[in-house]
Amino acid sequence: MAEILLSEAEKTFILHGVEEGFRCDGRMRLDYRPMEVETDVVSHASGSARLRLANTDILVGVKTEIDTPYPERPREGKIEFFVDCSANATPAFEGRGGEELGTEISNSLATAYQSSQTFDLTALCILPGQQCWKLYIDILILECGGNLFDAVSLAVKAALHNTRVPKVKGACLDGGTVDLQLSDDPYDCCRLDVSDAPCLVTLCKIGDHCVVDPTAEEETCSSGSVVIAITEKSLVTSVFKTGVGSFHPQTLIDILKVGQTIGLSVNKALRAALLEEEQQGRKKECFGFLK
Amino acid sequence: MWTTKTFLKKRKGSVLKIVREHYLRDDIWCGSDICTICAHQNEELVLEKNPQPKNKKFPFPHYIVLDTCVVLNQINVLEEDALCNVIVVQTVLEEVKHRSSSVYKRLLDIVGNPNRKFYVFVNEHHKDTYVEREPGEKVNDRNDRAIRVSVAWYESHLMSSQADRRKRDRVKVILLTDDVDSKQKAENEGLHVATISDYVRNVEDCPGLEDRLSQHNTTYELQAGGREPLFPAHFTPSQIHQGIKSGKLLQGSFLASRENFLEGQVNVEGQDKMILVQGRVGLNRAVDGDIVAVKLLPEEEWSVPSHMVLQDEGDDSEDVLEEENAILKSKDERVAKLPTGHIVGIIRRKWRQYCGILQKNPIEGSVRHIFVPAERKVPKVRIETQQADILSSQRIIVTIDSWPRNSRYPLGHFVRALGTIGDKDTENEVLLLEHDVPHSKFSEAVLSCLPKLPWVITEKDVQSRVDLRHVDICSVDPPGCTDIDDALHCKELENGNYDVGVHIADVSHFIRPGTAIDKEAALRATTVYLVDKRIDMVPELLSSNLCSLRGNEERFAFSCIWELTSEAEIVSTRFCKSIIRSRQAMTYEEAQIKIDDLTQNDTLSKSLRGLNSLAKILKKRRIENGALVLASPEIRFQVDSETQDPIEVEAKKLRETNSMVEEFMLLANIYVAIKILEDFPECAMLRRHPKLPVSNFEPFIKAGRNLGFEINSESGKALALSLDNAVRPDNAYFNTMLRILATRCMMQAVYFASGMVQRDEFFHYGLAAPVYTHFTSPIRRYADVIVHRLLAVSIGADVTYPDLLDKRKSHSLCHNLNYRNRMAQYAGRASVALHTHLFFRGKVQDEQGYVLCVRKNALQILIPKYGLEGTLYVSPHKGAKQNVTFVYSEEKQTQKCGDVIFRPFDPVTVQLSLDRSNVQHEKIVLKLVHPQIPGFSVPSLSSVKRKESDENLQEEMEISEVSVSPPIEKISTKKQKVK
Amino acid sequence: MARMDLISFKGLRLDGRRANELRQIRCKMGVFSQPDGSAYLEQGNTKVLAAVYGPHEIRGSRSKALHDKALVNCQYSMATFSTGERKRRPRGDRKSQEMSMHLRQAFQAAIRVEVYPRSQIDIFVEVLQADGGNYCACVNAATLALVDAGIPMTEYVVACTASLANGDVPLVDVSNLEENSGGPNLTVAALPLSGQVALMEMSQRFHLDHLPKVVECALQGCRDIHQILDQAVRRHTEMSGSALGWGNRAQVDL
Repeated sequence: MAEILLSEAEKTFILHGVEEGFRCDGRMRLDYRPMEVETDVVSHASGSARLRLANTDILVGVKTEIDTPYPERPREGKIEFFVDCSANATPAFEGRGGEELGTEISNSLATAYQSSQTFDLTALCILPGQQCWKLYIDILILECGGNLFDAVSLAVKAALHNTRVPKVKGACLDGGTVDLQLSDDPYDCCRLDVSDAPCLVTLCKIGDHCVVDPTAEEETCSSGSVVIAITEKSLVTSVFKTGVGSFHPQTLIDILKVGQTIGLSVNKALRAALLEEEQQGRKKECFGFLK
Repeated sequence: MWTTKTFLKKRKGSVLKIVREHYLRDDIWCGSDICTICAHQNEELVLEKNPQPKNKKFPFPHYIVLDTCVVLNQINVLEEDALCNVIVVQTVLEEVKHRSSSVYKRLLDIVGNPNRKFYVFVNEHHKDTYVEREPGEKVNDRNDRAIRVSVAWYESHLMSSQADRRKRDRVKVILLTDDVDSKQKAENEGLHVATISDYVRNVEDCPGLEDRLSQHNTTYELQAGGREPLFPAHFTPSQIHQGIKSGKLLQGSFLASRENFLEGQVNVEGQDKMILVQGRVGLNRAVDGDIVAVKLLPEEEWSVPSHMVLQDEGDDSEDVLEEENAILKSKDERVAKLPTGHIVGIIRRKWRQYCGILQKNPIEGSVRHIFVPAERKVPKVRIETQQADILSSQRIIVTIDSWPRNSRYPLGHFVRALGTIGDKDTENEVLLLEHDVPHSKFSEAVLSCLPKLPWVITEKDVQSRVDLRHVDICSVDPPGCTDIDDALHCKELENGNYDVGVHIADVSHFIRPGTAIDKEAALRATTVYLVDKRIDMVPELLSSNLCSLRGNEERFAFSCIWELTSEAEIVSTRFCKSIIRSRQAMTYEEAQIKIDDLTQNDTLSKSLRGLNSLAKILKKRRIENGALVLASPEIRFQVDSETQDPIEVEAKKLRETNSMVEEFMLLANIYVAIKILEDFPECAMLRRHPKLPVSNFEPFIKAGRNLGFEINSESGKALALSLDNAVRPDNAYFNTMLRILATRCMMQAVYFASGMVQRDEFFHYGLAAPVYTHFTSPIRRYADVIVHRLLAVSIGADVTYPDLLDKRKSHSLCHNLNYRNRMAQYAGRASVALHTHLFFRGKVQDEQGYVLCVRKNALQILIPKYGLEGTLYVSPHKGAKQNVTFVYSEEKQTQKCGDVIFRPFDPVTVQLSLDRSNVQHEKIVLKLVHPQIPGFSVPSLSSVKRKESDENLQEEMEISEVSVSPPIEKISTKKQKVK
Repeated sequence: MARMDLISFKGLRLDGRRANELRQIRCKMGVFSQPDGSAYLEQGNTKVLAAVYGPHEIRGSRSKALHDKALVNCQYSMATFSTGERKRRPRGDRKSQEMSMHLRQAFQAAIRVEVYPRSQIDIFVEVLQADGGNYCACVNAATLALVDAGIPMTEYVVACTASLANGDVPLVDVSNLEENSGGPNLTVAALPLSGQVALMEMSQRFHLDHLPKVVECALQGCRDIHQILDQAVRRHTEMSGSALGWGNRAQVDL
């Protein structure tokens, strides 16, 4: 991850602060930093969102392609995550430098979305056993200011919310090949239901306490984190631990409880933000990176 | 500079979202001389300051705005000078371009004419007139709205510049639209609006204009982007499989109609009647030759083949064809209906490479073009190429890649160019390719199988063969023949009987089974004769030298020798491999002279006379048995020895000697057939001519009945008799024509392996022979080679090999032979047609012809002199006007115009000429000369010369294209031979 | 699509521009805080981000270090969703590598590399949306990022494309649609003030006689873009200056 050089004294300062319940930027242990989200920023993609969590900058583009369903799941579409760590974030990502981190994040997303309770893949089916939509969720990390998992998962959810899958008016088999008729009205398209899409919440263990939304500096002080995927219905779809440190089982259970409540509120906040944006309608001004 | 974006989605295998920029400007001017606001350049002032109000309905100065349908439907009206001061909005221009490139081009021509004062207003990029598509709005509606917005904008824009004018002098803007909905909306919005007919009717000082209004109110379904599918979807392979299994669907090969591109038949194996398929939906993207699945319609929806000659002349537009509706409507209740079906799936595509020409897109620089195949059964193909300019004068090869549901034509790509159109070599190449004739040079492997020269007869050869070198044998062939494969002799024996021999070139001696040369010959199956070229089945060394039974050269032969009584009763038959020396290679004419010239008394002459008299008896007996004498028009070209261009055409003469040779060949074939069938009941290669179902004769019998002749087709003999009796003293050609027509009703004779067909189906109908085979032309037919081998085994002269005795292998071999034979025949005819075209270059001739049959919109005319069949259209082409009308009676098979009635077989005089106006597509044009129909017929050539100064020559009338006569099997051993 | 269509007889291009008009350019400097300099630039629907790190020590093997000047390291990468059809890899393919090389070529000509011996300057560009003229947008964005990073340059490097429509009309700033329609395509990266060409690349062929015309067209485009960039830089400096207090004074002075 981004190269953050901290001296021992700085580390101790952060550590002690967390113990006391104060963080460098003035937050409490369970506070998030301010977040900005904007959808529909990449017009070439079927859906997109840019999320900025303080210094963390994530751009997500969703592309739809036609594919054949897996033979064992003929009635489901496909979804694939790809994380690209741009060298813009740090020179360390140059070339193939960001690949390892990218794979870690995309795998965690894939696990979180794997449960059938999260994201309904059957909506992506066109012709059972023959054709389905495949969603490519491409995540571009433009700047790393800590807490990538949370930021990425929120951006993905926002982008999926924004995704418009072309409406198939009729699909049938023409001989052996599939023949599709698409609606020629660009406004006539399908939205995806993202209400059950999970958000990842990272709880970062610093000393004996856990904080949410760690900054890059805090992350360097941490011995390990637990990442929890939570849906709006407060279902936990995946839990995994990152980092080198170890956790006491009881700590883990406590963390899960905390994470659940936080996850719920984050989900809620995101949903509210997306709704608010949508209410501005078609005439909404698109800021993108110009703001 | 403003900017917004448009969103487009495109399909290309998958779905792409395409976003394009769209700039809106404030520097697009209105083009009107009135305007004081726009910063016009002078040349941009197209619309007049004071347009003349020439319309009774709108008696004030005005400009006109057209909508897309008006332009598409009424381009003829627009081309008249009457409408001026017209604003063409860009929306319309683009839509027109999308819909019909020809109309687009015509519209651009009008716009380019400064006198017409047509101004193109780029409304799509104007900041005030651009409209964005609303959610749920159809493209059409959006475009109509865009047009109305432009009209409204003009109205207010102009108003602000002419506030100082008097009210009635103010220029207004009128929208012309035929769209009811749009008109209504425009009225509600307070615009001036009218339908085009309404407007045109009220135009002053332009009387002819109203007539040019197109009457057909085709409402073009305008679509951008995602086109609606034109065809129903095909069934999946598993659906088809199930359907066929359960009997709901039928499998068969699709045969497209040559005359009507919206009709075809499906030949279902095991059914005697073909299934008719009609219309675009019925055909559902099947291409000639495809193996398809058909669904039979319920009987009440059955139909009859239309009697229309219909060629696809539409350009690339996607509109529903009126012709199609015409076909489907023209169901006549009285005529017996045929089983009709819809093609629902394609089991196997038989797409190949097609020869043809490029029909260039009228829009300069476009890369999308239409390919027109030479074969009329094949649909046009849409291709993309950058080199249209070069290719448009060439014959090209194109292959089909796919045929999506939303495309009127299949999509394909350019493969290669063959050469310049009209060039003889190119055209020959085209017809060889088109008929799938293998015509490449023989490979080294094949050539290495040839015997080494000098070829000598060894002592061993002499021992294993019967030496017939002492017998006076001669051959009789057409002039210039170099592949002589048969020779004859006849010797009177002491007991008064005749010793008659038919000696056939021993090709199987040189072509050993399994060698490269054998495989090549089996593939080629037959020698193909074109007018100026011969495509050999075996290399020339064999065909024209070692196997050819040339005069005074010792050659190996396979002989069939009979002892015949003077009454031509056969006493004994024997077969042997022999060595012969033909005394003389004669032409038919030479032989005829020898026979007729009684002063000649050499052995050859005597032997010929003997043969001739026996042949006459044989023929008589054969005809008594019910053999048919059929006819097909055959012609010969006299070719310029240097340019190889045809200089004269003549129908072939038939002499007694032709029939003499033919008779003995038939005899040999029949006896060989008996022999090999006896020895190889399972795997003899025979030839049969199936008796045709009576239904095939129905139209023919009907035609005869209309003229008072009862044709009996129950048996071959009955048919032969009734044909003989059908003679009309006033029409000498009548009988020949009947025979030509009868020939067309016939099935094709085919090769088969005896083990694959029931014994009672062996019969050869045309020759009235219980068994028949081909033995006498092994140089040019592969079937004969096989028969030779079989016969050689059966007389112990050769050994057998496994494939020869395998009836399945023989069966598949027969399949290829039949296919190649058919193709060779078609190629030969196509070659004749090609030369006929060459012959008519720069010529116009009046010729005697006969009505062969009567179609709904045309007469098929046969011109015996050229063996040529052409179509004389009697109803006008789309758009053209004709002063006379013909009335068609399907029942009586007549076309009537005033007092003149055309019935089948009626003699007519037609004028032949070559229409070279389209270099890509030369065609022979027939025009009626006699009987005269004022306003339709043309004066005869001689009278034209007299009246050259007379300007009022009748308008040139209808046109046609010439086709070579459709498949006929020549049941004879005649061959067209070539210099 | 036919070549004919590139410019209508009314003199408008497919998107409504005239032959000599650029696409709309919008840009912003200093979009990120971590890099030393960053910029975002839109040229029509082509959108790119550029980040500049450095000058800093040579990363990786020291052997790459140049004793008399700075090493300019460029990386061009495209977001997988930037094109119409999804890209499989954001970088590392031939095209991207070529682009990286071209970027380096252009900037080595303009950055005063001799000021920073034995050090390295990283220029990373990320194409977020590709709609023709990707390279140009990257060069222009990178120039802004370099200015933002305060790296001394002899002058701005500005790039622009040009094409030829209907056989004789030069078009400036070619869009993706026009690029794909088969006409020739000339890319020029220039130092517009001195009028020097830092990089020139051409695809397809056209007659040599047309070359001066098309090059001039591209150079004119570069000059126009230079003006736009220069204004943006001034505005940005004013803004960030005002945060430091001296912008206010300027207003007072007015």
